[in-house]
Parts: sequence; structure tokens; C-alpha cells
Amino acid sequence: MKKALALLMALCMIVALCACGQAAAPAPTAAPAAAEKPAEAPAAAAPAAAEKTVLNLWCIATESDANHESYVKAIDAFNAAHDDVEIKWEAFENESYKTKVKAAAQAGELPDIFFSWSGAFLGDFANAGAALCLDDYYTPYADQLPEVMLANATYDGHHYAAPLNFNVVTLFANMDLLAQVGYDHIPATYEELTDCCDKLVAAGITPFGCSGKETWCVTEYLEPVIIKTIGAEELGNVFYLKSSWNNPDIATAVSTFQEMVNGGYFDPNGLALGNDEVKANFIAGKYAFYQNGSWNCGEIAGMDANVQVGEFPVMNADNATLGMLIGGPNDCLAVNAASPNAAKAAEAVWEIARDVCHWGTLAGAGLPSWTPDYDTSSINALSNAVAEMVATSNGMVLFGDNAQSANIANIYLDYVSQVYGCAIDGEGFIAGLTADIG
Amino acid sequence: MKKMLSNKLVIFAFLLPALILFIGILIAPILMSGYYSLHDWDGFTQKTFILFRNYKELFTSNSIGFMKALGNSLLLAAISVAFQLPLALWFALRLGSGIKGERAFLSIYFLPVLISTVVIGQLWLKIYNPDYGLLNQFLRAVGLENWTRIWLGDKKTALLACFIPTVWQYVGYHMLLMYAGVKSVPTELREAAMLDGATTGQVDWHIVIPYIKPVLRVSVIFSVTGSLKSFDLIYVLTNGGPFHSTEVPSTLMISMLFLRNRYGMGSTIAVLLIVLCFAFALLIGLFFKEED
Repeated sequence: MKKALALLMALCMIVALCACGQAAAPAPTAAPAAAEKPAEAPAAAAPAAAEKTVLNLWCIATESDANHESYVKAIDAFNAAHDDVEIKWEAFENESYKTKVKAAAQAGELPDIFFSWSGAFLGDFANAGAALCLDDYYTPYADQLPEVMLANATYDGHHYAAPLNFNVVTLFANMDLLAQVGYDHIPATYEELTDCCDKLVAAGITPFGCSGKETWCVTEYLEPVIIKTIGAEELGNVFYLKSSWNNPDIATAVSTFQEMVNGGYFDPNGLALGNDEVKANFIAGKYAFYQNGSWNCGEIAGMDANVQVGEFPVMNADNATLGMLIGGPNDCLAVNAASPNAAKAAEAVWEIARDVCHWGTLAGAGLPSWTPDYDTSSINALSNAVAEMVATSNGMVLFGDNAQSANIANIYLDYVSQVYGCAIDGEGFIAGLTADIG
Repeated sequence: MKKMLSNKLVIFAFLLPALILFIGILIAPILMSGYYSLHDWDGFTQKTFILFRNYKELFTSNSIGFMKALGNSLLLAAISVAFQLPLALWFALRLGSGIKGERAFLSIYFLPVLISTVVIGQLWLKIYNPDYGLLNQFLRAVGLENWTRIWLGDKKTALLACFIPTVWQYVGYHMLLMYAGVKSVPTELREAAMLDGATTGQVDWHIVIPYIKPVLRVSVIFSVTGSLKSFDLIYVLTNGGPFHSTEVPSTLMISMLFLRNRYGMGSTIAVLLIVLCFAFALLIGLFFKEED
């Protein structure tokens, strides 16, 4: 009951946060010609009475993905419930999918329904008229899905995708390893964190693991440090190009992160490892901490060790507070505007997104964007703890690589990777980004 | 029949299907890439004509790092010519001299060419893994703990670590080309030289190698242009990282096209790659012609 209550509280807080937060602002993409006159579903070729319409769906829920089972269940249920429509789906590895879906859009070969990240990533599809405007199709689901949950997939006031789960960057701590150095709680201040890490290093335990091969993993460490130094509002402004990167506090945050890297707090082997390998190392008890998305809760909850979740401590209390988090409703399903079955796909996409969210929530693959109308008592303890953390949140900024447009995001990721490799320091980071982005 | 073949129209009609394929598959995409390279285009929305601004930016922008990527490719080309081809030639000469188990060795050396590059990449990822990788385990086992490295994560070693499997994979390919050449050397020539007292090494150096020079020219062209176009193995091993230290023009092109949505810039890199490959093929051809 308590867990269900926490989830509902989280949902209410999310609604409140999204309503007043940065996410409600339109994505920082160029004024969309398509959005002024959103793409509408072409009149579907009327199939013969008994003919089944096949809708193709692409996503990133491969067998190793936390959401794989959610898709299996959601799509099986959809196909069983509809005699006239059949969903056929294919899953691709996360990084290669980004290339594939863009290439498909450019070649006019998008499937009927496709997974996307909200923010600027989906913005490119919406602006180009490749994603269908879903305003009219949202109405029947308005009582199950608060409109603020669509904020990151809304461009010029029009909704372009159905959200899946809600996720935030989460600090996972192996309490068994922390206990070995005398800690029975997750360090609450930076001083405590460095003290804990020093003791871990002295005890031969690697404090953190982070994949250097997948730069988005580095942002999961760096962005929480920045938000806890400059605050949520300012970080949002920087991501949405309302403020310059030329901010000495950002340089300080980056230097702090590098102090941790240089202090030996990170597994040096992580530079050559992918995220799956790093996560496997954490699950195997090799690292004391692992900071990544809350979609990992289900998997990590299955560890033998005692794991707790928390957030990165506040670095500058003048600007930031606990509860300032990186994340939001980011994963979503969009509809190909050029699909001959766009109308049917637009009707189906909400149902599928709702059910993927349902099963994903129960599996610990994220928090619910959709209001839960099912028994949530089986949700794992880590997801519940993240829900409580979100419920007390007071500022949220979308993941930097999704909030910014593709070109800018990749310039940003380049600099982030240089920071992790200590090729540049905090000053170099802000100087470079100011010169290249502004 | 003779009369029909002397009719130019008939000849043209027979050649037309191949010509259409050649233009449609090879020439048209090159021309299209050239056209896109003159535009600022994100691949989705309207193109803006900017003449040669992409070319200028490519050579001057530090954030793109094209010159560094090109340098890496040229280094790979140099390593290929300096190590891969001599090794392949040595194998071809030894196998071509009719050693025992010639066929078996031929198949074994050619095996890496047949295996998917992605599989080879995964194989070498396991070899280089800093924790359980064969290389570091071996170094630890022989007491060279200090020599262990994060081979693909350290920018000092990542480039070489990528080049080794790239070079290794195609030794067999070049060996097979050269082996065919070696086998075509008339036996009388070898025997005559042997009767005159030439050693195996002298026969190889003075008879076989000059005889297979056209094959060597083809191998050098393939090796250099292949290095300029290298992509798949580097993409699997490091994807251009860490910190762009293993970036080559092809990985940069993919990054521009699909990650940064800079279709015009990606096309510019594609055009430059075509021009460079063509130029190197001509230069190598000229070099061998002068040698002749």
C-alpha cells in the first residue's frame, strides 16, 4: 500500500514538476514548418472486411533490454484484442538504432510506429513532417495520461508521440561494500562521498564504474554534478540555449568530476567497456556505486547484495538543492506520417505505449508516465525508492543528449568524453562549448 | 554473327544493361553526394546551397577533426604497405614454392577474410579486454604486469590496437592474390635459374617478384584504398574513440550523417574519400609504370 502510495505521489509530483518545469517549454528546435501545419494521417486505403492491417513497429527493446518483456506482453495483448490489426515488431541495439531510424526517415522507409527519444531527437522528425501529429488521437486517453507527460514530445503546442516510462538518473549503491568501510547509508554530502570513496579505494574496492565507450553514460555522472552545482533552472537554460556555457560554476562542476576521476574513484578499465559490461561488473559486486538511469532498477534489484538508491549530493547550496534531478518522460513511440496506415497506427500507438509502460513499471524498467490502474504492490523496492525521490523532487532537466539538437548534442558529447579522459579541464570544457555552441 | 557484332547499335544494345547498372549504382550516387556536399542539409528539412563552405569547414574545423582522421587512415595505409604486404608476399612465396600442406595453409591463412568483420571485432574485443582479455592475461602470466594496458581505452594504444586486427585480417587476402601470381611463374624460369646456381631467395627476388609486379600493383592499390575506406572493424572496436584518437574518415562520415544530422558535411567527406582513393590508385599506377 505504502509503495503504491509512493508511486501515486511520484506521479502527482511529476505532474506538478512538468507543469512548472523546463520540460514544458517547447523543444529547442528550429521553428517547425511542419508543426505549424502538423502532418495529418492520410486517408487509409480501406482494407477488405476480413483483411488484417499489419503495422510494423521498431524499438530498442532487444532481448537484453529491461523493456523487452514489456513489449512482448503489450504487443501480444494488443494482437489478441484486435482482429483487424496486427503489430509486427523488431528491436535494434540502442546506438545502432539512432543511425537506422534516421536513415530510414531520410529514405522514406520508416515503419508505421517507431520508438524515439523525446526532446530534440523527436523534434527533428516532427519538424520534417516525418512524425504524425497525434493531438486528435490523444483525447480518448487523456484521463489515463496527464497532458504534462507529453511535454517533452510537444512542439509548437502539438503532441507527436505517446510516452512510455519516466526515468531519472539514479545513484545505485552496494551497501554491503559500503559497510566494509563503515558506511551504513549513502553519503549525503560531497565531503562524505569523497571520504567514503577514499576508504573504498584504500580497501581495494573501486567506488564507481562508468562506460567511456558510450559517452551518454559519462553524462549520467557529469550532469548530476553540474545540476547540483548550478541548479536545475540554469542547466535547463544552458541545454535550451537560453544561457551560455560560459559559466564558471559549470567549470567548477566539471573540475569536481575530474577530481573524482583523478582520485582513482572510477574503474580505469571502464574507458574501454560498454555500459552492459560496466553494469555487469556492478551487479557482480565489483563497484560500490553505479550511476545510471532508473530503468536499471528491476535488474539491479535482483542482485544478491543489499542495494539502495539515492542521488548525487549537493555541491553548491546557493544554487542547488537535493531533489534536482536529471530525467523525465523521455522514451516514446511515434507514428510515421507517411504510413498508408497512419490513422490505425495513431490509434494503436497509445494502447501499446500504455501497456509497455504498465509492464515496464511492474518490471522495474522505469516509473509510470501513465496513471497506474493496476496492482503496484509487486514493484521492486528500488523503483519505489526512486518514486519517493521523484515525489520530493523540485526541479528536473531532461538528459542533455536528448534535450539538445543532434548536432549540438554530439558536440557536447565530444567535450564530455574529453572531460572523462581528462584531455580538457573545466575551463577547457566551457571555453570549447562556448566557442562551438554558444 | 560477325555482321551483327560489327553493328555498333547492336553492341550498344548489349552493353546498355550493364551501363545502366554502372551509372545507377556507381556514378549517380557519386554525383548525388557531390550535389549534397554543396548544401547545408540535416537530411530532413530543406537544403541550403552553400557552395564549398562544407569543404572549407572540413579542413579548418577542430571540432570535426577531419585532418586527424585522414592522418590515421594514411598511417594505416603506410602500415599496410610496410608490414601487411611484405608478410603476405612472404607467405605467398613460401606456399608457392610447393611446401608440404600447401592447400591446408592456404585455407588457414585465408580464413580471417571469410569471417565476418563484426565477428572478428568481437573476437579482438575479447582479446583486448582489460580484465579478462587474452593479451593482458598473457602479460600477467609471464610477469609483465607493468605492460598491461587498457588497450582500446587508452588513446596512446587504441590506434595501434585497431590497426593490428585490420592488418591481420587481410594478410590472407593479399597472400591469395600474390600466390596466384607466384603459381603463374613458368617452371622453366625457376629451373633455369636454379641450374645457374641461384638460391631460393635469389630466384624469388630476381625472377618471381618482378614477374608478379602487376599483382603487387593491384595489392598495393587495394591495400591503400582499403585503408582509406576502413570502417567496419574500427567501428566495432572503438567507434572512433577514445577522444577521436581512432577516428578515420568513414567513422567521421557516419557520425556526421546520422548522429549529427549533417548530411551535407557527411557527403563532403564521402566525395573527398572517392577523390582520394582515385588519386592514390592513379599515383600507385604511375609509380609502378615508372618502375617498369
